[in-house]
Amino acid sequence: MLNTKPVFDVRQVSFEYEGKQTALDHIDLSVHAGESLIILGANGSGKSTLLKLLDGLYFPTGGEIQAFGNPVTEEALRDDEFNFAFRRRVGLIFQDTDVQLFSASVLDEVAFAPLQLGLPRDEVNRRVDSALEALRIEKLRERAPHRLSGGEKRRVALASLLSLNPDVWLLDEPTTGLDPRSQSWLVEFILKQRNEGKTVITATHDLTLAEEIASRICVFSEDHQVVAAGDPQEILEDHDLLHRCNLAHYHAHHLERI
Amino acid sequence: MENTSSVKRSSNRSDILEHTLHGITETLEQALFAEEISARKGLFQSLDARVKVISVLALLIGVALSHSLLVLLAIYFLALLFAWTSAIPAGLLIKRVWLALPFFTGLIALPALFITPGPAFLHLPLLGLVITQTGLTTAAFLLLRVSTSASLTLLLILTTPWNTVLSALGVLRVPDVFILILGMTYRYIYLLLHTANDMFLSRKSRMVGRMDTSENQKMLAAISATLLDKSLNLSSEVYLAMQSRGYRGAVVTLKPFRMQPQDWLWLFIFLGITTLAIILGR
Amino acid sequence: MFLKSRPIRFLFVYYAALLVWLSTTAMHIPDGYLSPLTCLIMFLIVLPFWVIGIRKIRETMNARSVPLIALLSAFSFVIMMFNFPIPGGTTAHAIGATIAAIILGPEAATIVVSIALIIQAFFFGDGGITALGANSFNMAVTVSYISYAIYQAFSKGQPLTSPRRLIGAALGGWTGVTAAAFFAGVEFGIQPLLFKSANGTPLYAPYPLPVSIPAMVIPHAILASVAEGLLAALVVAYLQRSNIAVLQAAEKPALLNEAGVLRKLRVPLIILAALIVATPLGLLAPGTAWGEWGTEQLASQGLSFIPAGLEKLSGLWGAPLAGYNLHALGNASLGYLLSAVLGIVVVTIVVWLFTMLITAGSKTRERKNS
Repeated sequence: MLNTKPVFDVRQVSFEYEGKQTALDHIDLSVHAGESLIILGANGSGKSTLLKLLDGLYFPTGGEIQAFGNPVTEEALRDDEFNFAFRRRVGLIFQDTDVQLFSASVLDEVAFAPLQLGLPRDEVNRRVDSALEALRIEKLRERAPHRLSGGEKRRVALASLLSLNPDVWLLDEPTTGLDPRSQSWLVEFILKQRNEGKTVITATHDLTLAEEIASRICVFSEDHQVVAAGDPQEILEDHDLLHRCNLAHYHAHHLERI
Repeated sequence: MENTSSVKRSSNRSDILEHTLHGITETLEQALFAEEISARKGLFQSLDARVKVISVLALLIGVALSHSLLVLLAIYFLALLFAWTSAIPAGLLIKRVWLALPFFTGLIALPALFITPGPAFLHLPLLGLVITQTGLTTAAFLLLRVSTSASLTLLLILTTPWNTVLSALGVLRVPDVFILILGMTYRYIYLLLHTANDMFLSRKSRMVGRMDTSENQKMLAAISATLLDKSLNLSSEVYLAMQSRGYRGAVVTLKPFRMQPQDWLWLFIFLGITTLAIILGR
Repeated sequence: MFLKSRPIRFLFVYYAALLVWLSTTAMHIPDGYLSPLTCLIMFLIVLPFWVIGIRKIRETMNARSVPLIALLSAFSFVIMMFNFPIPGGTTAHAIGATIAAIILGPEAATIVVSIALIIQAFFFGDGGITALGANSFNMAVTVSYISYAIYQAFSKGQPLTSPRRLIGAALGGWTGVTAAAFFAGVEFGIQPLLFKSANGTPLYAPYPLPVSIPAMVIPHAILASVAEGLLAALVVAYLQRSNIAVLQAAEKPALLNEAGVLRKLRVPLIILAALIVATPLGLLAPGTAWGEWGTEQLASQGLSFIPAGLEKLSGLWGAPLAGYNLHALGNASLGYLLSAVLGIVVVTIVVWLFTMLITAGSKTRERKNS
């Protein structure tokens, strides 16, 4: 029954940073369970901000966000039960892995979320082991995050959420700093999550990634509005649209190659 | 070569970059090296971190309390022995300890040889200075105490991955929040060191001619202020990242320690040594 | 040969010692310089400052404070590595406590700098583990509180871009580190007085107060204090020019209790001032600290003029000089000195607990009122 409700319902949401700097301008968006939504936009178009709003880290200055049918507000998240339930279901991978990985060791990092969310220690240990195994980083277990390579850091970041096994993955520019091999591995990982019925929302300006994983695309303009949403193929072929949103240069190149 | 003194001085000044860069690189390398040694097989590496932390703290207190040079000397050689059984290159401990700290300590202790009142031990013919017996003893105390303490601390640092030390502190009832903060500080020191390193390098590559003192000062201030800004921004972002994964002010950590029989054995040995040192050193 | 006369020799050696200390301006006291008792007492002295810092952090910043404290501690650690050029062609290390105090207030800055010191001691072997209390008191507490009070005194009611703030930061940093050097000098200087073997051999740091205080204070006043003050002022100037938001954020807590900043800090500052004055005076009183350099001694060694100040001071205390005869110091004066130090500690702790109780009460009242 829950599935009939959208995972996220974003209604007329605006967000301004302190100092009146607009990041989002009246956004409408619905995200359905099991889809892989790409939020496509140039740098500074507000897509990262939207992910933070969806994760209940920032709160809209106008409009409303509902998750699983419940409004996500500062008040609501103050409630222990709602907070725990929400945080267990929704996870965000930050663009900057140096922000995501703040713990002293990979082990502590991967154990952080399940421990904070009150899982028993045995269960935490079990989940940490299987997350490390799934991402093939058992060897990094005792290592310090700041000693890892870019690709390893990204794997640990994903493991730190996989140990929580959330229903909704929010990924902010996940290909930043990855070499081509790690990128294709990342695509595999995302597709695997989708196959398991997870909802994946990815903010990116990487058209290749969009093409590979999107089931739907939503395009942000540089004035922080949604200018198009729909079928990936249609949008990725709309040269004018992408050009207007400062996403086209690479795409034109890409098309020629095809 | 026009190496006049003024040229030398100004070149020294622009070497400020090099100096700081060198310092930063050294710190990074030092930590890397410690990690490498802590991964080797050896006596200290095989011990539970709690045992090591307690033992080294106890021995440090024993060293501080000792009134006997012989006891200090014994503990120093004990530290060397432990280093040897812990796959720490023999020269390393001696070099690290005797080149850095006690080098300065030696310089500091030097005048004490002459000015400490007491019976004369040796007359230095040319300077007209007299080394007193008490001066000699007091200098020996200072040097031995400082180098023994430094050796013990190094023994702990070199054989124990730092995050294990952190977890060990947790088992020793240091509050979890404090341990989280210490771990985070340590982790972000590296990020900031790398950022500082990059900023220094980029300034260096753009540097035309020599910079005078005030330009150097302004550059360092700009780098410091940028680092400050970065730290503040990072702290807000990290806070979001922590919140996102369920952090709400209370910290829970894993406590992955299990004491083995040999850990207990060594704990008693170390505490025994300390007690002996305190009794003999009275 | 003139070097044979003791006073000249003393001066020669004294300046040698001074020069040596000049080269070690980092002020991190390693293990082995301070007796266990001194270390313990320094931990006791610094403890209430830690408690207050943690309470302050909990009150004002709650959950958010964990990453903030961690990042700023990391910042402080990195700043301590910079070789800061100072006028005259040399470099010195700043501590960064002044900047931390300006941004966070002295209570939280104390915690930030202490954490940087703990990490240096435990993971890099810089500064002693047993001396952590002393190092934290000197570098974290003293510098933070003194520099903050001076900075606030200069910038009270001034706009964020005021040049007076620069003067406040510079003077604050300079005074703070100089005072810290003074405390380090006192801690070193009481060692040969209090802790020696039966035959009078000092067991820890060997130099008495008249050597250790100037030897710490003078080079720091010329080097590290200058670096700290200049760096703080230049960072404030940079922030004024290109990132005023940081200064603005720092101003917020101060604005909340506008007039109260200095008043609130009055008690800790008075205690610091009292410690500065009382420690050496209390310890010098019986005259033992001057050891063989008492006025009488100098005169008998053929130094016809006695430094006027020295004479006045010894007259002031009117204590008989024990001179060479170290046994004459006996247990009586040792007991006196011990009790003096302990007395200061006890008084400090009592006053602190009192202040904490009082301020805790008034704060809850304020909150209820608002």
